[in-house]
Amino acid sequence: MNRRKLLSLLGMSPAILAGESVLAAQGEKKPAAATHAAASAKPGTASAKITTVNPKGMPPQIQLIPMAPRLDSLDGKTVYLVDTGFHGSDMLLQQIQEWFKTNMPGVTTVFKRKAGPYAQDDPPLWKEIKEKGNAVIMAVGH
Amino acid sequence: MGIPSAPIITKAFKDLAILNAAKRGMPRERICFTQHPVWGKSPEELKVYVNGDDPVNNKPFMKEVVDALTVPLSDEEKKSGMVSVSVGPPTFTDTVDNLQEFYLNNGYTDFLPIILPTEERVDAMMKGTSHHPDEVVGKMAAGAYPPWSYTVRHVAASAVMAGCRPEYFPLLLAVASTGIASLFSSTNSFAFAMIVNGPIRDKLEFNYGIGALGPFAQANAAIGRAWTIMSKNLGNGGIPGDTYLGSVGNNLNYNNVVIAENEEASPWDPFHVQRGFKKEENVVSLFRGLGVVPGQVARGSSVNTAPMFDQQMSDLFSTFTGFFGALIIADPLVAVRLHEQGYDTKDKLIDWLYKNTTQTVKDYKSRNYSYLFEYPQALQGVEPFATWYKLPDDAVIPHFPRPSSFNIVVTGGQTNAYPQGANMSYGVSVSIDKWT
Repeated sequence: MNRRKLLSLLGMSPAILAGESVLAAQGEKKPAAATHAAASAKPGTASAKITTVNPKGMPPQIQLIPMAPRLDSLDGKTVYLVDTGFHGSDMLLQQIQEWFKTNMPGVTTVFKRKAGPYAQDDPPLWKEIKEKGNAVIMAVGH
Repeated sequence: MGIPSAPIITKAFKDLAILNAAKRGMPRERICFTQHPVWGKSPEELKVYVNGDDPVNNKPFMKEVVDALTVPLSDEEKKSGMVSVSVGPPTFTDTVDNLQEFYLNNGYTDFLPIILPTEERVDAMMKGTSHHPDEVVGKMAAGAYPPWSYTVRHVAASAVMAGCRPEYFPLLLAVASTGIASLFSSTNSFAFAMIVNGPIRDKLEFNYGIGALGPFAQANAAIGRAWTIMSKNLGNGGIPGDTYLGSVGNNLNYNNVVIAENEEASPWDPFHVQRGFKKEENVVSLFRGLGVVPGQVARGSSVNTAPMFDQQMSDLFSTFTGFFGALIIADPLVAVRLHEQGYDTKDKLIDWLYKNTTQTVKDYKSRNYSYLFEYPQALQGVEPFATWYKLPDDAVIPHFPRPSSFNIVVTGGQTNAYPQGANMSYGVSVSIDKWT
């Protein structure tokens, strides 16, 4: 499934891809049955309309983050290979390191295991990468 | 960080990765996908992954990685600003049948029939509390996503849907105020439990006698179910592939493990008193873990003259992951007998279990949770893991990192002396009275 479909299915308008207000794009995901139409049939009949409360909580706004500028080339650059700690991440990154040695020998790779369990932040490593590196490859989301 | 990055995700988590990036502000993040799983594969097999195609984008995998770092950004990728996300209008109007279908198809339910939350029913539910309908109760996150917030009215809608009575409402608000969802975004298929203490157990007619954990009282059933429906709606949890990832799933998620403590038949202090509350206070305590197992299968469980309940529990817990704790769910007959055998406080039993439930370092290191969560902490010097990882393989260490990993609750109808064990760790205890 593509990104546009995914986002719209889950209540998030694809407008997010273009940075528009999702509220403005609600027409794309109108409730299939529910509307604000006033009740017209007799109460108590199968066709009588009732009003119910939307149980969904309130999502936070999303702050769009511009992506970092890309490099012209990786040649002569230092690329950090960061292991999240998931099983096998280190071995996958070692194979990527081998691939660079064989196919792009002008790239310097530095392998690092991120400190702490996989969901924990590691500011010292980010600082090191910013000072000494030019790009990051992080693996693996399982 | 200001540095170009290429995240690598296995293809099983494609939807999650795309949505997570979007919800965190990068809907165009350049995610590179590899085959799944990575875990358990040999270097040769992983080499094939690396030299093969990205299975999602159908391009050579390493070209995707290099392109992610070097292809100039599009205008879309440079965008900043705030984006609102809508969950639809505050109310819906339609026929009963259409609304039932609508709630079902939009993931608002647990896929069992619900009571539709009409405005009248929601208003009636909110009469169970003195708090204002628009008061923000808390924030709940579906996994690693930014948390959603919710009001008293939102909680009331889920409470109606689950079949709760207005008098249950303060308890549900207390649970909601913790922000703890009973559906957790992990591949592990977690289960959740709540312990209810205080006079409210009788006021709401909780069952803490025969079949205490079974479907034999409305309070136990509906309140447990409401926690799951709340988790779906308040924090947007429970969307498979997005905010829920449990590989096998967990049947306990339907209404969770709801335990009203049999305080009257227990020889020990009630659970909430151990946590610093007064006996007359009404309190709910929450747990998270992997599930519940029966105690009658344990070693020592058929000794006639001197039941070895302590040994049974230790045997049972030695199969648990120490990462989560051990919650002992003891029938009063078990608790009374243990009390007679000298465990006159819960702490004495916990001390014995902590010292006598052991493992070798070799076994410890081989465990999944040790590698994923405790080894990284050992590298950071966190105890006891730092010491444990330095010991020889044949050294014997406690199975659980600390005595506080154990908790005890007493419930049941005394038809037989059976304990059960939950591989669950304690989260928090909160006052129910605050929400009346």
